[in-house]
Amino acid sequence: VGAALPVDVLTYEEKTLSAILRVISGGLVKLWSALTLLGSYQNRRCAFRVLQASPFLLALSGNSRELVL
Amino acid sequence: VSFLIPECGILPEVLKSTIADVGEYYLVRNLSIHELVSHEFIDAFVKKGSCYALTYNTKIDQDNTAALLPNGKLILSVDKDTYEELGLQGRPSQYSGKKVMRYIITIDLTDSGFHPDSKKHNRVLWALKEKKPLEFDFLLAWYNTGAEGSTLKSYFSKNQIRALKPKITFSTLRDLQCPVLQSNELQGKPEESCSTEELFEWLGAVLNQVSLDNKSSSFLSTYCCPQPSTIVEKAFLCTITGFIIPEKIIQLLEQLCCYFGDPKLASWLTLTVHGFADSPVSWRESEHGFHKGGENLYNFVIFRNLDYWLQMAVGTNDDCPP
Repeated sequence: VGAALPVDVLTYEEKTLSAILRVISGGLVKLWSALTLLGSYQNRRCAFRVLQASPFLLALSGNSRELVL
Repeated sequence: VSFLIPECGILPEVLKSTIADVGEYYLVRNLSIHELVSHEFIDAFVKKGSCYALTYNTKIDQDNTAALLPNGKLILSVDKDTYEELGLQGRPSQYSGKKVMRYIITIDLTDSGFHPDSKKHNRVLWALKEKKPLEFDFLLAWYNTGAEGSTLKSYFSKNQIRALKPKITFSTLRDLQCPVLQSNELQGKPEESCSTEELFEWLGAVLNQVSLDNKSSSFLSTYCCPQPSTIVEKAFLCTITGFIIPEKIIQLLEQLCCYFGDPKLASWLTLTVHGFADSPVSWRESEHGFHKGGENLYNFVIFRNLDYWLQMAVGTNDDCPP
């Protein structure tokens, strides 16, 4: 997918193993599907979970679903 | 709620005290919703000041959700089965599609027809207490307009009520690339200032710690700071997380405007407020849905001359903000 659609890796945090990716809106479905279906990389099993998706980068800085009290 | 002040290393005392005064909110576990409809509650809290409540840990697109607005309206967003079992009048959700799976019930607690012996009140109480009792964990907050009486903590002392303070984090960002802005140039001017959209995206990048100086040939990311930009030596970023009421945000906004009362290097600062993704309403009382991301947020850019930009963003399942 990265070769067919330009995808930016905006951030990557090794501690939480989370990243922010940027893709044009027409490519969202392709990218999301590709992440869902990616089951292994270099012979190691892995899974990607999308925590938040938004057209606004600013919206990603606050996720009320992560509020743990 | 976050605010960013460029060219600021230390927060002024008055801002520090405003933040410290953001106030507590409460988490009540397993609260039956009929308690919010009881007249003791309405008289003690809803009618005296602004009372806010939102169900905690419920997803607006999956679970039943409830919210109490400061104008006294109780909004219930329920799935089809619950709606049919409750038997209260509501309307189908706007974001339901052909087959209606979600309904919204609005109960005006301050309506004159809702007094203790009215048919309306009895029916609502019966539905929520006996027909289909609903229990949720609630986030509660109350802005008391100076009236005497009980507090939320004492009223719900028999439930497991916990007082919580919003989490506050400060950080100072060094050598930050900031876009140059002109308050009257919303679209930006080539070589002179950046547009509102560029600022909005830049702010998102800063708050998410995205690196701002990628080259266009970089393999990982092509995002870079909008031009023209300047490098500021330091910028102050503060984030407050919790159930924060509008009255406190207004106080914070006023203090941020006062920041420019003394001469400052910064020419603008920003204040960003995020709404809860799972709230049943956003912007006045328009229905809010989740779709792929329940964003509802607004951002103020306040300039030295006290001009401001207000940017409001909503998700797919939302009405346009006013």
